[in-house]
Amino acid sequence: MKRLLAILQIVLLLAIVFMLYNPLAKIGLLPSLSSIFHIQQSRIDETPVIIQQVKNIAQMFTQTFYDETVYDTGIIRTPVLSANKRLIFIAKGEVISGFDLSELSEKSIIRRDKSIVVKLPPARILDVIINPSGFETFIEEGEISFEESKKFHEDARRIFERNAREKGILKNSAEQGRQMLEKFFRLLGFETVDIIIPETL
Amino acid sequence: MEMEVKKKSTFARRLAVLAAAAAVLLAVNLAVPRKKVPPSVGVRTLKDLAELATVEYSVTKIVSYKDVAWYGDRKILFEAAATVKAGVDLNELTDQDIKLENDSAVTVTLPAPKILLFNMKPENIREIFNESGILRSDFSNQEKDGLLSQGEKDIRAKVGRMDILQRAARNARILLESWLKKMGFQAVHVVFRGKGGRP
Repeated sequence: MKRLLAILQIVLLLAIVFMLYNPLAKIGLLPSLSSIFHIQQSRIDETPVIIQQVKNIAQMFTQTFYDETVYDTGIIRTPVLSANKRLIFIAKGEVISGFDLSELSEKSIIRRDKSIVVKLPPARILDVIINPSGFETFIEEGEISFEESKKFHEDARRIFERNAREKGILKNSAEQGRQMLEKFFRLLGFETVDIIIPETL
Repeated sequence: MEMEVKKKSTFARRLAVLAAAAAVLLAVNLAVPRKKVPPSVGVRTLKDLAELATVEYSVTKIVSYKDVAWYGDRKILFEAAATVKAGVDLNELTDQDIKLENDSAVTVTLPAPKILLFNMKPENIREIFNESGILRSDFSNQEKDGLLSQGEKDIRAKVGRMDILQRAARNARILLESWLKKMGFQAVHVVFRGKGGRP
């Protein structure tokens, strides 16, 4: 009996120490217990990277739009007895626009002595990039499946593309492409350079 | 006998005090919310580029992780696909890099090729297997993002060691030679600067 009480006393003391430590860790004054005991970071297994396809391309990147957004799914109601869900994450990435020069044909370049006319295809969004390292989960409540979180991540990419278009990425892209090519052709000795770029909607 | 009773009651009193203190602290613990750093949103910015991408690699990798513990295991497996584009940064071209010998011959010195873009789209990542022991919590999305970030880092490192830059250089040379010939130059030489350029 005496031993039992002594053990109980030790357990209570340990619980008190833990509960004194925990609130301080919660508010960030002390490191969390999990960070103390998980000294070794989880490492993925070593696996090879396999090349599936190699493609020759001719893309001219003329504009990039860096974006960062907080995505909040809001409270997702679930059937009775299941906990509601919510995911808030920060997404960081970029949108790249420019020209696909593989669309250039023989007729796209016309040279007459020291003059040149180049007809480019319209500027367009070439890539929207938010890699896994660009996602940072802020709040995760309830059970959110991988497929669900993937849909939210894809939605964040659409938001990035929309923001880039609203910021005028295609207009800037066309202008930068024009300036860049003009500079290049002047270095090649052309005195009159005319770059024709169709309007993008 | 009396000593024994007295000792027991002191013990019981001490225990009661400890229990009361523990109860109070438990309430405090439950009441203190976990500190969350408020998310900050950076400035949205547009920036000019002048890059010519000449090759695109599509690669895949299996991202697997086993969390083994005496009280149960957790295992997860993803298949991730990424595209990597490489080419040359034409912003690094200077006046000295284009040498006209006469109106029909030109030598262009291009900067060293480099990886321009890495894209691992969410739609190209599949969770193939996910299992947690009875006493283990499921993998959170934060943990999954962390594991996939490691996969991303590994792909970046391994693609860099492939022949992507050599192919980018070869394609850039072919592309430029063909365009310059279309413009009327009869002799076109495209060379690359030695190692260097932007990392």
